[in-house]
Amino acid sequence: MSFAKKNGGKAFDVLQNLPRITLANLRPEPGAKKAEKRRGRGQHGGNRSGRGHKGERQRGNIPRLGFEGGQTPFYLVIPKYGFNEGHSRRPQYQPLTLKRLQYLIDLGRVDPTQPIDLTQLVNARGVTIQPLKRDYGVQLVDEGSDIFGAKINIEVQRASEGAIAAIERNGGLITTSFYDPISLGILIKPVPFFMRGQPIPRRMLPGEDMVPYYTSAENRGYLADPEEIQQARRALAQKYSYVLPDISKDELYHMLAVRKDVRQIFFGLSPGWVVNMPEKKILKPTDEKLLEYYSS
Amino acid sequence: MAASMLVQRTAALCGTFKGISVSKAVRPVNSHYGFMLQTACYNPRPLRLNLRGPYIPDKDSIKTPEWQKTARYDKKLFGRFGSASHIDPASLWPSHEELEKIIAEEKQWHPPLEVMLKNIEAKEKEETEKRLAKEKLIAANMAKMPKMIEDWRREKRETKRKLKEEKAKKAKLLAEAQERFGYSMDPRSPKFLEMVAEIEKEEKKKKKLLKRRVKEEQVAAPPVAQS
Repeated sequence: MSFAKKNGGKAFDVLQNLPRITLANLRPEPGAKKAEKRRGRGQHGGNRSGRGHKGERQRGNIPRLGFEGGQTPFYLVIPKYGFNEGHSRRPQYQPLTLKRLQYLIDLGRVDPTQPIDLTQLVNARGVTIQPLKRDYGVQLVDEGSDIFGAKINIEVQRASEGAIAAIERNGGLITTSFYDPISLGILIKPVPFFMRGQPIPRRMLPGEDMVPYYTSAENRGYLADPEEIQQARRALAQKYSYVLPDISKDELYHMLAVRKDVRQIFFGLSPGWVVNMPEKKILKPTDEKLLEYYSS
Repeated sequence: MAASMLVQRTAALCGTFKGISVSKAVRPVNSHYGFMLQTACYNPRPLRLNLRGPYIPDKDSIKTPEWQKTARYDKKLFGRFGSASHIDPASLWPSHEELEKIIAEEKQWHPPLEVMLKNIEAKEKEETEKRLAKEKLIAANMAKMPKMIEDWRREKRETKRKLKEEKAKKAKLLAEAQERFGYSMDPRSPKFLEMVAEIEKEEKKKKKLLKRRVKEEQVAAPPVAQS
């Protein structure tokens, strides 16, 4: 184990020789603390206390917000239109910028030497997913794609083209996969699920409206053809003009190539197993029918 | 019923020590600052497994609430206390009947991938057919358009021309009336109408004369041509 070169130099020496930090030595950053507005005190805060001169305003009798003195208010003049109709039935995906992902990797909260999953991201407190609020997972957004420089094997639920390009440019692998709401709840909070004593369920397939997304190679869907994905990788490299690095010659190829089965929720755990936390044991079923069901 | 197999394996996700545990993966990283050791770590929530006095409710007693005698609660007991809960692990999985129900439900509500792909293909095909039919119709109608435009323009021109002619006739008649009678009169008056009738008669006579002449010429011409 070799030590890091001491960086800081003379400033570091000075800092070491300064006196102990106490409350007397501390002062907030200029502009950090703003003085509170106190009504009814002093020459400027007193007199009418910021309420104006007579009338409804000073006497606190203003009508409701939006009232325009009897004229049909703006919010009623505009006719209704179904912009938000069915909003509670639309799947939502929590955005994850590449900038934030790079931040998490740099701080060591996410381990790039292991496949990155939604569980890893939630454990690192990188994203917060609420399956009960129609969240269907996390989507990768390409803000920060110019500073992104980590080689990772990541699995998200949606990804923009720029984000896919940025990850593959650095020699990584990205997959988009679908988790139905129950599987998602299990994925983000695995330990409370194991404490329930239920066998790990099979992940369901996406609905008909999402099947085209997850079977297309451009989106790196988990149901797509691997050859098509290779072609799409090359096409994207051409489009965004970068050289596609050859992953098979990478030292971490074995880790990068790890992908989940279509019905699997966790890496290394199959559906049908019961994980027992107090005794640190895994129970597997031996009945043929159960095995057939869980492995179909 | 199925007999479950107990397999020894450490939980891969988080440490189960009492208190705070941190999972670390140490790996060397070569950065331009020199050789640094970076650790990936997150603080998992401490798992308070209180295994000292596990409360396992008495199934036979009347005083225990109903919800503590259900299979769901048994599973939770097993999940919390493990084998100390004295629950047959085989009951954690669905029985054969329940399994059949689950399979039937899945067949009904979650069709396999091939079926879904077929449905999607069928829908797409239908959509494209509709679109093509619409476009064909539009193209055919557009091809007819120049002719229809021409027809319509011709019609308009003709109506315009006819209107003009009518107007000219009427103006002529008025002028005739003016000449004959010396003052401009209302076209609806009886005198005007008489005048119009006279003019028509004269024109008819002229036409008849013309016709007779044309006939005579025709009769005269062919015999001359023959002989």
